Amino acid sequence: MKKVLSLVLCVAMLLGTMALVSCKKEADTYEIAVVTDVGQLMDKGFNQGTWEGAEAYAKANGKTYKYYQPANGSDATDNDRIAAMRQAITNGAKIIIAPGFLQATAMTTVAKEHPEVKFVFIDGWTLTDENNNPLSNVTAVVYKEQESGYLAGYAAVMDGYRKLGYTGGGGGTNPACNRFGYGFVQGAEAAAKALDLEAGSVTVKYSYQHGASFSASPELQTQINGWYSAGTEVVFACGGSMFESVKSAAEANPGSKIIGVDVDQSYASELVITSAVKGLKESVAKVLDQYYAGKWDSELAGKTQNLGASDDATGLPIATSRFENFTAAQYNELLGKIKNGTIVPDATVPADANDADWLKNFDIVVVDFE
Amino acid sequence: MTFLIQQTLVYTIPLMIVALAGVFAERSGIINIALDGIMIFGSFVGAFAVYLMQKENMLADNTQLMFVIAMICAAAAGAVFSLLLSFSAINLKADQTIGGTALNMLAPAITLLIVKIVSMQDRLSMPKALGFIISNPDIGEGLKPFFDKMFISTYIVIALFIILSIFLYKTKYGLRLRACGEHPQAADSVGINVYRMRYLGTTISGALAGMGGYIYIATIASGTAEGTVAGMGFLALAIMIFGNWKPVGIALGSLLFGLLKCIGATYANLDINGDGVCALKELGLPIYFYNIVPYVVVLLVLAFAAGKSRAPKAEGIPYDKGQR
Repeated sequence: MKKVLSLVLCVAMLLGTMALVSCKKEADTYEIAVVTDVGQLMDKGFNQGTWEGAEAYAKANGKTYKYYQPANGSDATDNDRIAAMRQAITNGAKIIIAPGFLQATAMTTVAKEHPEVKFVFIDGWTLTDENNNPLSNVTAVVYKEQESGYLAGYAAVMDGYRKLGYTGGGGGTNPACNRFGYGFVQGAEAAAKALDLEAGSVTVKYSYQHGASFSASPELQTQINGWYSAGTEVVFACGGSMFESVKSAAEANPGSKIIGVDVDQSYASELVITSAVKGLKESVAKVLDQYYAGKWDSELAGKTQNLGASDDATGLPIATSRFENFTAAQYNELLGKIKNGTIVPDATVPADANDADWLKNFDIVVVDFE
Repeated sequence: MTFLIQQTLVYTIPLMIVALAGVFAERSGIINIALDGIMIFGSFVGAFAVYLMQKENMLADNTQLMFVIAMICAAAAGAVFSLLLSFSAINLKADQTIGGTALNMLAPAITLLIVKIVSMQDRLSMPKALGFIISNPDIGEGLKPFFDKMFISTYIVIALFIILSIFLYKTKYGLRLRACGEHPQAADSVGINVYRMRYLGTTISGALAGMGGYIYIATIASGTAEGTVAGMGFLALAIMIFGNWKPVGIALGSLLFGLLKCIGATYANLDINGDGVCALKELGLPIYFYNIVPYVVVLLVLAFAAGKSRAPKAEGIPYDKGQR
């Protein structure tokens, strides 16, 4: 009996290993790889926008594609990111798209190891080697987030909101989030001036607490719930999955509104009045297009594109926005001014935004930094 | 002030019910260190039930019923999951701490596996707004802290807490259950089936912990299952010891901890006397201070209360009929 059993087990094991081997042989390669930033892939924002851009391009052009999430989720280290990028290359990636400025170190390491693989660095600047020469297999895309933030802040005040809130991810050290927030306050100030409001009549609650890892948390939900309870009318949820917590808090307080970020989040909740968008999808698709058209060396290698309203990369999704007073005509007028350079929102943000002094020089808007 | 009471209750309720879950297991003689794991599993099953109901468009106009059904699913899942602990600890006489630790490791693993299969990522987000909150904006200011922006779970848990405390202390089943945790041989000698009582205690414990897990994520974590309950199960264990294995002590402990947690999240915004000055913010202490306070207080109280604390005598010892 025992012999028979062991024989059966042996055969089963052999078959098992054979099955594994055959699996390996069939394994496909994936040309386009997306290595995600902290937070979830489907975060209704940053990661998702990048991923959908790559996905759409790959589907339309018959390319293979795959995403890689660095291990340890929101606590991912550079080593986890390096592992994810190497994994992508092992699986045959020719071009790796990595959103998030946190990826700089990992990308520099892997890009030097694999000069034959191309890297697209979203939200970051050109990477350099130890001699300060730009890495020619990396191209960088940054956005003028301050323009989207400006438009959102302007629209909110124009629409009649007076008590605004901003909760940002990255704990104050994420430049993209800081630019969004700074632009938001500047836009609110501009609208308040245009409406000739009294000094102090527009307030912005401004916080980086509980958002360091861009994830939803009970603490964040309670904090924002407190804002809404104390009269805040609309909160700009600036950071991936933090949106979930802000949404839950808004649902608990009738009449509360949300401003989304990165992509049009109007579908995620009825309470989203608008979203401060950056054209992740479009620019990823554009870069991929240039790459496959053989223009890497001439147009992308070692360069940074700084995209803004004039490239149609920043703005508000006005068609799906839920404004009551702010009209599409007003929006287009303002957007036109930003496009032609009449209005240039300031983008000089401190490396650590927890130094509250940088938000104090406004005439009408009062920033209540938490 | 109203806001502070409302939010304190939100943090308190899951802690209270899960700490009571701990009492039921330990009073019957089983150390249930797996509370956290059972919470995670229960919270996932509850969230999954809501996910399915929302997808199928069931009960869209009766979200309260949906919440109750999800809580029942979570409780059932917790009860079933806790059977693993009962079986290993009662029938196999295995070490209860190790068995519980195994469940704590198993629960997030199973949960994340299924969540990944279902939603292709580490979290199960709900397709629609939950809508569990009950708003009564027109109610008088004095009643607002307890009847505006409340969850039905708050009332259910308070009712359950009272009923089960009476069950434990005023009924003969409760007495038998407690006897099995103090001196199972003596209980057996008067004809009480110790195994059955211990199964009962641990299963009730599992059900309560599972339900507490879902209440936690539904009321405070956006209703998304992520394979974690932020260590609430372990906090509940600490509160159980803090409360000296007694319901009243537990209720007070959960309230204290809920209050401190709530202050930690909202200190910059608290205007207790309504004069427009947020006193705690004016102090200018860093946020980390407020985040640490609840844990330090629990540690301190545990350290000072340790002399008086009295755990059930036979907890953690597998019952062996042959032993005298």
